[in-house]
Amino acid sequence: MSRQPRPVAQAPPAHAGVPRRDVTIIIGGVAAAKEPTLIRTLLGSCVSACLYDPVTRIGGMNHFMLPYAAEGTEAGDATRFGSHSMDCLIGMMMRLGADRRRIVAKVFGAGHVLPGITSADSVPYRNILFIRQYLADENIPVAGEDLGGRCARQVQFFTDTGRARVRQVDLAAARLALQQEQERGQEQPSCGSVELFD
Amino acid sequence: MTESILIVDDSRTIRMMVRTALEGRGYDVLEASNGVVALSVLARQVPDLLLTDVNMPEMDGLTLIREARAQPGLASLPILVLTTEFADDIKQEGRRAGANGWLVKPFNPKQLCDTVALALAKFGSVAP
Repeated sequence: MSRQPRPVAQAPPAHAGVPRRDVTIIIGGVAAAKEPTLIRTLLGSCVSACLYDPVTRIGGMNHFMLPYAAEGTEAGDATRFGSHSMDCLIGMMMRLGADRRRIVAKVFGAGHVLPGITSADSVPYRNILFIRQYLADENIPVAGEDLGGRCARQVQFFTDTGRARVRQVDLAAARLALQQEQERGQEQPSCGSVELFD
Repeated sequence: MTESILIVDDSRTIRMMVRTALEGRGYDVLEASNGVVALSVLARQVPDLLLTDVNMPEMDGLTLIREARAQPGLASLPILVLTTEFADDIKQEGRRAGANGWLVKPFNPKQLCDTVALALAKFGSVAP
């Protein structure tokens, strides 16, 4: 959702070559837009889901680090966890007018960027299992994926067309992505507020 | 007697997570994937508490609450909202619709169960 006013009353045709808003998200980020927007992120072992409703041409992307928050943990931002991040992204798109029954997904990331760690319990492996299972459970078709491998990825998603561009990036960028992920990984996830009305 | 909770959420994943938490506390759990399905469940069986999401296809959670509150048999049913929405205006809209409480996702299972227990005690029917 846009936090900045945008003087566009109606989404222009995808091929019109109009300038798009340009948004970059990092770990824990969730962004969705009704107006043509380019959303970018850099992924190491994290995963991004790019969701798109082809009728309203509303799209969005998230960037999560782990499938679920560990039980008993509190405080921090919970969109680092896939279960909540996906829920937030779908909710955000629905608020903008998307219909979840039409949403299709493209998923990226989960690279084994740490040398030598490829076990079935590794973060990238668990992220791959999670996102595939989540999309299957929620009946969201997968229109494309580029998961796993040993690379970091730079992802660009065009919210008005559903097009995604993925580029494998060099070691320095991979290290930057990994450093971000490790720093964020030390924070604790949060739980939402509770209010009982009188 | 075991108390029953109707969970209304369009995400199967969230319903499963909520179910696991509530069943772990001994509640019976019913499920619905949107407001329309929830109303059909409510026509057959009135739970002890309704826990609903806001953004759902077919019928959203706030419309569900208004529809439920318009029915005499559901006027005093404890209703909690469990949603990613946190803005004060929508929270107040929920309150005006007839919600008894508002929980912002993500939920902590213990916190969720404690809140459900509190809402049942505060807003539920008093046992004879």
